[in-house]
Amino acid sequence: MTLIEFKDVTFVHQTGVKALDGVTLAIDKGEMVGIVGENGAGKTTLVRHVNGLLKPLTGSVMVDGENTRAVSTAALARKVGIAFQNPDHQLFSDSVEKEITFALNNFGFEQPLIEQRVSWALEFFGLEEYRKSSPLILSGGEKKRLTLASILAWDPGVVILDEPTVGQDAIQKAKLAEITKNLKSTGKTVIIVSHDVEFLWSLQPRLVVMRQGRVAGDGPCAEVMLDREMLKTARVSQPQLVRLEERLHSRPERPFLDLSDAAAWITKEAQ
Amino acid sequence: MYWIANGFLFRRVTSPFQKLDPRVKLAISIEFFILSLFASYVIAVGAVLIAILAVAAFARSLKRVGRTMVFSLLFAGIIFAINVFFGLGLLHALVYALRFLAIISSTSLFFVTTSPDELEHIMKWMRVPRDVVFAFVTAVRFIPVVMLDAFQIMDAQKSRGLELDKGNILVRVRNMIPVLIPLVVNSVIRSGELAEAMESRAYGAIPKPTSLYGMKLKWYDWTVMILSFLGFVIALYIYHSFRFPF
Amino acid sequence: MKTLVRVDNLSYRYLDSEKWVLEGVSLEINEGEVVVLAGQSGCGKSTLLRCMNGLIPHMYPGEYRGSITMDGEQVDKTPMRTLAQKVGLLFQNPENQIFMFSVERDIAFGLENLGVSRAEMRRKVDEVMNLLGITPLALRAPHELSDGQKQRVALAGVLAMRPRLIILDEPTSLLDPQTASELVALIHTLNKEAGLTFVVVEHRLELLAPIADRIIVMDSGRKVLEGTAPEVLADPRSLDFGISVPPISKLYSQLTNDGLVLPRYPSTPEELADEVNGL
Repeated sequence: MTLIEFKDVTFVHQTGVKALDGVTLAIDKGEMVGIVGENGAGKTTLVRHVNGLLKPLTGSVMVDGENTRAVSTAALARKVGIAFQNPDHQLFSDSVEKEITFALNNFGFEQPLIEQRVSWALEFFGLEEYRKSSPLILSGGEKKRLTLASILAWDPGVVILDEPTVGQDAIQKAKLAEITKNLKSTGKTVIIVSHDVEFLWSLQPRLVVMRQGRVAGDGPCAEVMLDREMLKTARVSQPQLVRLEERLHSRPERPFLDLSDAAAWITKEAQ
Repeated sequence: MYWIANGFLFRRVTSPFQKLDPRVKLAISIEFFILSLFASYVIAVGAVLIAILAVAAFARSLKRVGRTMVFSLLFAGIIFAINVFFGLGLLHALVYALRFLAIISSTSLFFVTTSPDELEHIMKWMRVPRDVVFAFVTAVRFIPVVMLDAFQIMDAQKSRGLELDKGNILVRVRNMIPVLIPLVVNSVIRSGELAEAMESRAYGAIPKPTSLYGMKLKWYDWTVMILSFLGFVIALYIYHSFRFPF
Repeated sequence: MKTLVRVDNLSYRYLDSEKWVLEGVSLEINEGEVVVLAGQSGCGKSTLLRCMNGLIPHMYPGEYRGSITMDGEQVDKTPMRTLAQKVGLLFQNPENQIFMFSVERDIAFGLENLGVSRAEMRRKVDEVMNLLGITPLALRAPHELSDGQKQRVALAGVLAMRPRLIILDEPTSLLDPQTASELVALIHTLNKEAGLTFVVVEHRLELLAPIADRIIVMDSGRKVLEGTAPEVLADPRSLDFGISVPPISKLYSQLTNDGLVLPRYPSTPEELADEVNGL
């Protein structure tokens, strides 16, 4: 069932830069989609159309059957949560608890439900010990989890992650990958904008490659990442395991999805 | 608020006026400023205003200075109304209103044609303390950055259901808090990073740092300076010896 | 190889803080090396960098034990103006280290602060712009630059003071992968051709490992691992310390564990493939 649909969308920024140049894209409910492309290719502009922050110049964006032009951003935000790259652009409350409550109040949640959702979010993201603390004293990784917690609290059907792994260390990234997989398994539609091809490779989502405001590639991660020529023009690097597989003389039947795949195949070949 | 920013923000154009030494540009604006203070007749103030706009046109900045003037009409109107209310004659009140417009325009003329670099040099030349000059330079340098931050913060909060254009004045002010707090916090963090970068590049090592650029008065600077001063003196003389009807 | 930096049993905690951010760290940086400092968030690597260029203790007084010797002089006893000419620090955010309205003016910032004459300043600024290939950007304003260009301008500003050591605090973390690779390639070129020494704090080890002479891993304020890239990345303990071991390195370790030892340690997927092909 198509949840999000872009029909020949163009968009020009106030600075005159044409960020989207005829994008047609359909995302089904429950899909996990990764969006890659160099800076300026239009990834962030694209996702800002999904919650109505931006409205297309020409063409249309349909979310859950409604044209984004006809609906307010607040109404769309209820269904589409975006976790932006910089948590410091969001956190402002006296306590972590109040931070999570902020959006719930905006969306008109009632009191007993608010308490329930806040407690759930704090527990799910491992932030219960910080309930009454100021969000400003949390570490970088904890702040990221807090922004996710504040979004998941209002239970949007679509969750968009804008560069979730920037500045994160290995342990934090592993946690994020786990949370992302969890989101998908609870039936949410997940869209991840990321430069981190290794992170995406571990998730194996559907992959959309943006180049100069257009969709240059669209398909299963394992297929799209093999198209070296296209990726080069889009200035997107290939994951290490793909680069490895492409250089081997005798090729495996499918690309290495993880380390054990690769290790097993190589060990067998060596014999 | 956009017009205030534009009316006093430097914009690089190719015009001989902009190439003048900033001290000359300052002198010209001050001369206009003083003339408008002296002029107590509508024709006189009107003449000064037209002169300012003429110079702005020559400097290819007429649109900006003109726009500043147009947007200041509201305040000018208020000044006019207040003066009439307090019993001054209509013409007298008109003079005050026009004088206000002339003062704003002459100031705008200076800032629109003088780059922040040149402003820095003028301040140093006026012996403004080095730290104050640097604070000014940094502030101007980061204005566009902070504005961008503000937009990104607004986007982030709108994505959490915050509606910035709904409700009465009290509600709207309260809704600014989730935007202002992160903005302030980010600015503080930014200042900290800047301070580290400054220290690491020996800021404050010596009391009088040198400078890559300098100000030097060239022949055309002197020419324009002298001419404008002559014009200033002649204007004052004409003003003094004329009988203005109004 | 001459030792440029000697860290001797260094411990530090911020004023009003209970926690020691650095505990008994000892290490050496030799001239001409590219050393990567790795470790999870909060391990103390950024603090160590600030100790190296003098921000600690000059800007951040606290409890400071042990010593760092930078090019013969003890950091805590040397003023910043002298240290700035020995070691340059490049920060993570390209935006927050460019102060002036034009590129060349910003590059001259440090020289102005040191009172260098205008003629000499002009010469040094032109030289460093040429070295980094940014001469066409000389009169541009900061907001007209891309992030990659900003990092180059910031690097130029630091290099203008002719330090022998450049330390960088997660310089690529806010850059996209292509721009990041370009910056790393620049570091490599400067190291090989200009003989500059680099200490880089980084999470993205897959980019830095191919050019690093040594990797030092920190955890909870202590140095826990040290060695060449192959030594550290193949060491099973490195995963415990939360560093981002590149997939290829993990694969190499796993193959070794499974009994297949490849002749040479591969720093890139292509190298590993070539070795497998050769079997």
